Amino acid sequence: MLLASREIRRSRLRFGLLAGAIGLLIFLVFFQQTLLSSLLNSFTGALQNQSATVLVYGADARKSLEGSILGPDVVAAVAAVDGVGQAGPLGESTLTFVADGQQVDVAVFGAEPGQPGQPTKLIEGRLATAPGEAVASSEDKAKGFAIGDTVTTASGGASVTIVGLTKQSQFSVQPTLFVPFDTYATLKKASNPDAVAVLPSAVAVIPAEGVSAETVAASINVSVPGVEALTRSEAVASAPGVASVQSSFAIVLALAIAVVALVTGFFFLILTVQKTASLTLLRAVGAPAGYLIRGLLQQVALVLGAALVFAVLLLQAAVAGSSAGLPLTIEPGALLASTLIILVLSMLGVAFSIWRVLRIEPVHAVTRPLMGGAE
Amino acid sequence: MRIALTELRRRPGRFAPAGIALVLLTLLLLVLGGLLDGLYNGSTGALRAQPGELLTYSSDAKLSVIRSRIDPATIAEVKQVPGVEQVGGLGAALLGAQVPGQSDDASVALFGYELAPTGVPSPPQHDGDVYADRSLKAYGVKPGQTLLLGPNHYPVQVLGWVDDVNFLLQGGLWGNADTWRAVLASARPDAVLAPGTFQVLTVATAAGADPVEVAAAIDVATGGATRTVTRAQAVNSLPGIEEQQSTFNSIIYTTFFVAALVVALFFALLTLERIGMYAVFKAMGASSRQIFLQVVSQAVVITLISFVVGALLALAASFAIPPQVPIQLTAGRGAEVVVGLIVMSAIGSALSLRRVVKVDPASAIG
Repeated sequence: MLLASREIRRSRLRFGLLAGAIGLLIFLVFFQQTLLSSLLNSFTGALQNQSATVLVYGADARKSLEGSILGPDVVAAVAAVDGVGQAGPLGESTLTFVADGQQVDVAVFGAEPGQPGQPTKLIEGRLATAPGEAVASSEDKAKGFAIGDTVTTASGGASVTIVGLTKQSQFSVQPTLFVPFDTYATLKKASNPDAVAVLPSAVAVIPAEGVSAETVAASINVSVPGVEALTRSEAVASAPGVASVQSSFAIVLALAIAVVALVTGFFFLILTVQKTASLTLLRAVGAPAGYLIRGLLQQVALVLGAALVFAVLLLQAAVAGSSAGLPLTIEPGALLASTLIILVLSMLGVAFSIWRVLRIEPVHAVTRPLMGGAE
Repeated sequence: MRIALTELRRRPGRFAPAGIALVLLTLLLLVLGGLLDGLYNGSTGALRAQPGELLTYSSDAKLSVIRSRIDPATIAEVKQVPGVEQVGGLGAALLGAQVPGQSDDASVALFGYELAPTGVPSPPQHDGDVYADRSLKAYGVKPGQTLLLGPNHYPVQVLGWVDDVNFLLQGGLWGNADTWRAVLASARPDAVLAPGTFQVLTVATAAGADPVEVAAAIDVATGGATRTVTRAQAVNSLPGIEEQQSTFNSIIYTTFFVAALVVALFFALLTLERIGMYAVFKAMGASSRQIFLQVVSQAVVITLISFVVGALLALAASFAIPPQVPIQLTAGRGAEVVVGLIVMSAIGSALSLRRVVKVDPASAIG
């Protein structure tokens, strides 16, 4: 054991470079994980952080809020279902606005004031209650969506004034506005004056006290034809883009983790092969294989430990320097899980080195010329 | 060289770890590339197939087909611009479609068109008739069937198949302009447009005219009411296309890097184990160059064999993957992967050069 740590002390550069390289790879894993959770928040934060716990879409919408449209009678039909506490129309559209002199695509959510569908992460100002008022996603404050700013539809004719800011509430990684439903209809009409009607995209529902969201969603699906009721978490998980982003990142993460294990495994295998003569001699003078393996594992643990510390420091620097448009938040649980996976796989990676150590025959110290012996 | 190939033939097991890793990396590269091609083609087919070199949007739409509106007066202005040969209206509606006998709705993009896109016949004469993209077969669609579109179940009849005309990963249905207007009125009352108004225009330029100059002239002629771009710009401005390309390309480049790393580490290890043998070769007169070429040739041969096995596995995987997943394996992508892998494995194995050069022939005799 003493031998293993002494070797690291004497070859600081070699082990330092390895720890640095593995640290960079682990940082890549951590950073991508943090980016993924932040990106998903920007995709679906508006759904996750609004007050309705059940969302009712059109049956033909394929669980997409953007693809959903409901007839005028559906809100009343949903409100009449047993277990429904509050129900109100919820509109959602992407419209082009002019903010700060620039055209920008904006996701607009319209809900009746006081009804389900209101943003729940208000950090500044107040909710929109009067026509022409809006709450904006706080991440876009600097893009012309600060409190007191007015943004106008690119086609002209309608504008809203920001009266509040809400965090983690973007939709489809776009600036997002929460407005009263009537204002939503006005904005839609301004964007397309030929529109014959502005209908809700969904019904936002809060269950009656003591009734679960799952129960209410099931009751609505049974009682109201032509709709599909989803709990909030189901709606978030099935939002367009979420599955493809998750699977793309999963591939990259798996690849990066495999590379960490591979690099660790190959490095220690090369070290073991290089040291075979010395290890054979140690075995010949009585050192048991277990002692050599413990030394190897100690070196792996020290290198991985240093790499982890390096990766965490890099991650903290990256998070501190992230942009306001896509703020990064560290999720310790997810990082811990990937750390465990990296540790287990890296240990598996050094299994070949352990096997090489176990294969060492002490007698070769005196029979193999390359080991110092004679044929 | 001959010794290198003989060793590969006689001791294939020695090269198995690198070979297996390269097979898996080939599989990953081909599946990722196939997915990228499938996603790109499935999102952009409708625009790539447009017969005109230019597409004209309303200036307040930020190049969104769905949010754009061009009224008849503006269309007349566009037709008068010098260099414009043909102008055709185009409109789209993204909907769910009930397919007879199927429990799940298909995602479709219904287009109304005036100028036929590449591979699509002239607009059907009868309202309610559509041509369907062949990819909708995966959802159980068949020619002659009636599909019910949107929440009010507007019926359209499939006349036959067309290829590579999907939009935003929704199966393309192509009907005449009146069919599209009727579907909007039934399913998307907030997106209805006045008679004669289209979402975008496809503009064919006269022979010899510079499309970029014509595009600028159109926007001037309409007093800034329009934004005209080339077909390629229109394709790249579709939501998510550039992000998708950059994300997948980063994964693909990372995978190539990993391939180089695997080969480099494997041959570093192999070279280390053969130092004694290389010393004997050198003592017998072999040059460092000859030994180095052996290492590189082994890496390239292993890569080629691994590519063939990986490509066969990818082909098998493409048959096993559900048809709804838009994966497209093309010869071009295969060529890109094999060339990339050979280059990376050659670079990876070349990292052993230093050790080969350092081998001292005198060490062969002690």
